[in-house]
Amino acid sequence: MSWTHLWCVGALLLATAVAQTTPKDEHFHEELVVRPLSGDHVNTYFQFTTRWHYGQKENLYHTQLTPRVIAELLQQFDVKELHIGLTQGLWRYETWGYPIVEATSGAEMWAWFKATNLTDQQVDKQWAQLANVFSGVLCASLNFVDNTNSIAPKHLLRPQFMPANRENFVRYASLPREIVCTENLTPWKKLLPCGSASGFASLLNSGYVHNTKYHSLGLKVRTLCQDHDEDNCILEMTQTANLVYDLRLLEQSGNDFSLRRLFGMGLNGYCELASSSKIYVQRNELGARYQLVPPPPAEETTTRGGYTVVYGVYDMQEQFQDQGERLFNIAWLAPKGELRRNRQKPAPPPIYAHRYLLGQGQERGRIVTEVTNSHYAPLPILVQELIPWYVHAYLHTLNIRRRPLGRNEYGSETLPFKLLHYAPGKQRELPTHLEIGFLLPGQSSALITIDVDYLVLKWLEYPPDANHGHYINAALVASALPMGTNYSALPLEGHLFAHSFNATRPSYVLGLHTEALIVSLPTPDFSMPYNVICLACTVVALAFGPIHSVATKLIVVVRQTSAPRNFLKKLKEKLFSRGSPVLPTAGEADVPEGAGCLPPEEQDANENDNDEEEEKEREKEDGEDKECAH
Amino acid sequence: MGLLSDPSISTQNKLVDNLAKHVRKVCCGLYILGVVWLGCLALPEFNHGTYLSENALSPGLVYPEIRLDANRLAIQLLEELQRERKEHKSTTPHAWIAAKLNEFGLETHTHNYTLRYPFGGGKEYHGKNIYGILRAPRIASTEGIVFTAPYRAPSSVHPDISPSVPLLLAFADFARRKNYWAKDLIFLITEQEQLGMQAWLEAYHDGDRVLNVSKAYLLPGNLPARAGSLQAALNIEVQDLEIDYVDVKIEGLNGKLPNLDMFNLVQRIMAREGITSGYKQTARKKRRSNPSLFEKNLRQMLAMLATQSSGVPNGNHGLFHRYRIDALTIAAAKRQTHATLKGNAGSAAVPLLKAIEGIARSLNNLLERFHQSFFFYVIVNNDRYISIGDYMPALVALVACAFFKAYLTWSTLDSEVQQAAAAAVKPAETQTGSASGSGSGVETETDIDTELEDGLPYGSVLVYLTAVLLIGYLGNVLPLQQYFLEIPMGAAPLTTSVLSFLTLIGFILPFVVVLPAGGLELLHVGFLLIFGCSLIIIGLLNFALGFFVAVITVPVVIALDTSEQNCSGSMRNLTRFITLLLNPMVVVYVIVLAMSFYQYPELKLDKLLLRAATAAMDASAYGLIDNVIYGNWLYFVVSTVFLPLWILCWTLSLSKRRDIADYSDYEEPQPRKPQPEPQAKFKTN
Repeated sequence: MSWTHLWCVGALLLATAVAQTTPKDEHFHEELVVRPLSGDHVNTYFQFTTRWHYGQKENLYHTQLTPRVIAELLQQFDVKELHIGLTQGLWRYETWGYPIVEATSGAEMWAWFKATNLTDQQVDKQWAQLANVFSGVLCASLNFVDNTNSIAPKHLLRPQFMPANRENFVRYASLPREIVCTENLTPWKKLLPCGSASGFASLLNSGYVHNTKYHSLGLKVRTLCQDHDEDNCILEMTQTANLVYDLRLLEQSGNDFSLRRLFGMGLNGYCELASSSKIYVQRNELGARYQLVPPPPAEETTTRGGYTVVYGVYDMQEQFQDQGERLFNIAWLAPKGELRRNRQKPAPPPIYAHRYLLGQGQERGRIVTEVTNSHYAPLPILVQELIPWYVHAYLHTLNIRRRPLGRNEYGSETLPFKLLHYAPGKQRELPTHLEIGFLLPGQSSALITIDVDYLVLKWLEYPPDANHGHYINAALVASALPMGTNYSALPLEGHLFAHSFNATRPSYVLGLHTEALIVSLPTPDFSMPYNVICLACTVVALAFGPIHSVATKLIVVVRQTSAPRNFLKKLKEKLFSRGSPVLPTAGEADVPEGAGCLPPEEQDANENDNDEEEEKEREKEDGEDKECAH
Repeated sequence: MGLLSDPSISTQNKLVDNLAKHVRKVCCGLYILGVVWLGCLALPEFNHGTYLSENALSPGLVYPEIRLDANRLAIQLLEELQRERKEHKSTTPHAWIAAKLNEFGLETHTHNYTLRYPFGGGKEYHGKNIYGILRAPRIASTEGIVFTAPYRAPSSVHPDISPSVPLLLAFADFARRKNYWAKDLIFLITEQEQLGMQAWLEAYHDGDRVLNVSKAYLLPGNLPARAGSLQAALNIEVQDLEIDYVDVKIEGLNGKLPNLDMFNLVQRIMAREGITSGYKQTARKKRRSNPSLFEKNLRQMLAMLATQSSGVPNGNHGLFHRYRIDALTIAAAKRQTHATLKGNAGSAAVPLLKAIEGIARSLNNLLERFHQSFFFYVIVNNDRYISIGDYMPALVALVACAFFKAYLTWSTLDSEVQQAAAAAVKPAETQTGSASGSGSGVETETDIDTELEDGLPYGSVLVYLTAVLLIGYLGNVLPLQQYFLEIPMGAAPLTTSVLSFLTLIGFILPFVVVLPAGGLELLHVGFLLIFGCSLIIIGLLNFALGFFVAVITVPVVIALDTSEQNCSGSMRNLTRFITLLLNPMVVVYVIVLAMSFYQYPELKLDKLLLRAATAAMDASAYGLIDNVIYGNWLYFVVSTVFLPLWILCWTLSLSKRRDIADYSDYEEPQPRKPQPEPQAKFKTN
């Protein structure tokens, strides 16, 4: 397929990039991109890149800008590339276009492993350990990543590390239920060389970051080594924060905004450790109507795949050349008197995807992924599905139906698979892993449906708030665009946002994430087991006393005057005579009946008296053997 | 069956003997017990006060933030809409609504659907719903809440509720500027009453279906955008921005109800905003009579059961329940008098907007789907309810009559035949094969029992039952057959004539087909069992329907007697007469007649009768259409369950027997007539 070709090109470029880098150096760059989006939204994208040419593996012990935990990672594990995303909200492709970095809602993680003589079992083990490490580092629930929710993608994920030519292992997992909050942002900021003290990271105040419509924290680590030379390596760590602000949610109405209003404060300078510190502000398209205060000192025009973007560039190191405490602010002023009404809907991007669950009831349903190609030419599509084990998917029901864009509903016209990889799931052990490749004709939508059954879980397998439902992971969709419309992702060999300028390629690899789904599995009424437990406990408690006393009391034979009878009969008689109300006569009433705490001898005496009394009263045959149970 | 035919129970047991003598008295006792039980539930001692079970709802936890400007916007939008309505007499101003939703910054979509009306040669109707989705900042579109307002064109016969659209839009504009939403909010404006709603819901949940265009009636199409799993829905029907009171409607399709928590939530929030609101709330009238609490409760309760029993939802909310989405309607009535007008017109809708905001925020708090409180309940007062555990015994008591009688009939039937067989000692000739396949399971293998097996005509009774059930099934299927649909005839006459024809067959059937000896008794047992089971099942699904049917039919079932002794008694004739009256068609007609009598008291009797007849025909057609489009199973139940049961009942009340001449063909002795033995049960009455 066309993207494999692209990968080769990318790898070549990557090799040249490695060769160009001067050894023994470590650089840190910070970048901020501000792009107005349609529908009164603003996208702010922070990228912090540390690039360390560490050479030999031993040098990893001496960290400077790179956090120690990352350096240790490369020593401990055979991991060559690692991606972690922590996201709240959903990127709306249809109105916002494509993001600079992709992420699915919740937590997402994938890693590439490579070493000589590495086996699958070792990788599984390392993968779980890796997830645990980052669970601690980022305060996220990544420790829930294990083999029951991880897959080894076959086609969709491609390595970005070097050299990736021999056998690699990859693991992918996502936790859609994860909620991303301040507790993740703070440790994430601590990985930066300057922390949140100065530089662009000082803008990331949790009070403002979490009031956005979408925020996504990303961490990407990759190693670039020269072929056949393991001692000439680069460690590249990229931290990204991608935020989308909704201007209508900001307190003051109106279309004006500024850094101060978005982040609560102006910029207090740049990180002193940074080699470069730049703000890029999009000036064309939706950014064209804004007047910038202060105006950008420089402008840069980039044309990529026939798509031109103009960025205003503020170099913070220039801005803060002269000493003195101050805050830097950029204001976007919209022309006055502009009305919001009758705003045009933005043209949708070439490819976008949605996902939903159809069917009713708690027994079965259909997972539907809808991919739309609004481009005029057919485009190759790869879809990766990870279906958790508590949902049974049936491969024979998988089909792809197509409709032209103008029509409302899907007919029975199907599209053929070009590629199908299916690894069936196993209850409580493995998720279902499905990858589909097909060619989607231009101006049409594809509807990928698969029927699923919902499993009845064991009662301890339900999470707290069981009626909230269970999550089904988002699908990943990949394609290769022939043009760069709306496309702003970093090229494979680049590590700065500035590297995406003028980076024209034969095709542009695009990755999309769909929505995650909530499914209501058959859920028992959890108050009922509670009631049952209460009731059962009461019954057990009531039964326990007598059974315990019967079972533990010592039976002492006191007197034997006649032939012994069978035990049960005696016991019955005993119980019967004890239960009768006439038992304690006036003289013996001070001794409580059945006082188990008395020493055996005393009790025996009492019992004997009682029994004798009884015998007289009842005129039973004498000579019965007497016993007392303690 | 081994249990039932246990000889130790059936013959020698004194208890059974005695009970069989008093079967009618016991049944009457049970019947009275059931009815009185339900009546008692209206007493405050027998019902419970409502409470909120789901803590996450926490109604009124936050101060309402919606202000006067939203009200101003609503008034302005209403004026605009009124202008639009002048141009769109019988259609919906889609463009205006979509433009407004778009302007407020919502993701706006339209949904087209088609109805293929099957009757009278077939017609096609097209409809269009507009909806806007507020994408919540706090969630990745996995859950949603729906706010709907039906739009009625000016040409509609129903009361004008156009102000609900501006109210909804004003709330949407307010909600769009808040960042605390943790569920996507869908603002949906439907047209063509419940049809639009049904189409939207079907498209939401089954949008990928490839429908067979010749078979399907509603083609819902697919939705361009969704908002995850829907958690709750609120339907708003407002007659005016200045409102008098709010009527909270809860009854849904097939008598399903939203969670009681949802109703309580609405009641609490309305009370906080100072809006008069309640279940079946009506305008406050002058107090002429001051009914007791019991009487009020009972009326409320019966009114609720009556609404539920038809299974027709009384608002757009009712269609959500099928998808396990809790929904209700707040229907606000126009203020009639201006005497009590407190505030000025400029702030009239603020309390209602605040209430909607409060409900929305409480629903937004929900972490889990509604699951805590009751789904089966009867509301006796705005703050009192009866749970399923309390009302179900009433129905059980009524239906118990049938099972009780079935058991006693069976046990006495056994002994009768046995005695008869034993009296005429002819153990030799056994005709095998006649009743072997009936699965009766008389296990003991004595000669007498073999005789007995021959004695009871299981096979023919089974055939009879199957035939009768087939008639019922035809009632469900026939009106939708293509050759019937092609007849240029309206839906009402077509359905009615099919049903009447089937009823006629049922009416004639017992005259034509006469069961062999013992068959009637066996049929009686079968009828009682089917009757009891079906009523219990119907009662579990829709209590109101099951209970009302039980109340009117159980007396006849108790009175049914197939014995020959009082063949021509007045009791027998009365039973026959009542059975005729209880024909489903007649019952439908009587109900419609009563309703039209209340609705048009000025009409003369003959005109009234005629009008009721056409209305009843329409009712049966609507029942059928509701069945095929919305999935209301009232028509199905009437035609497939009640009609066969009535035919059986009619057969039994007629008690047609073969002549003596026919009997003599059998070598078996006549079991029925000579019964001098003192042990004869079942002949007590």
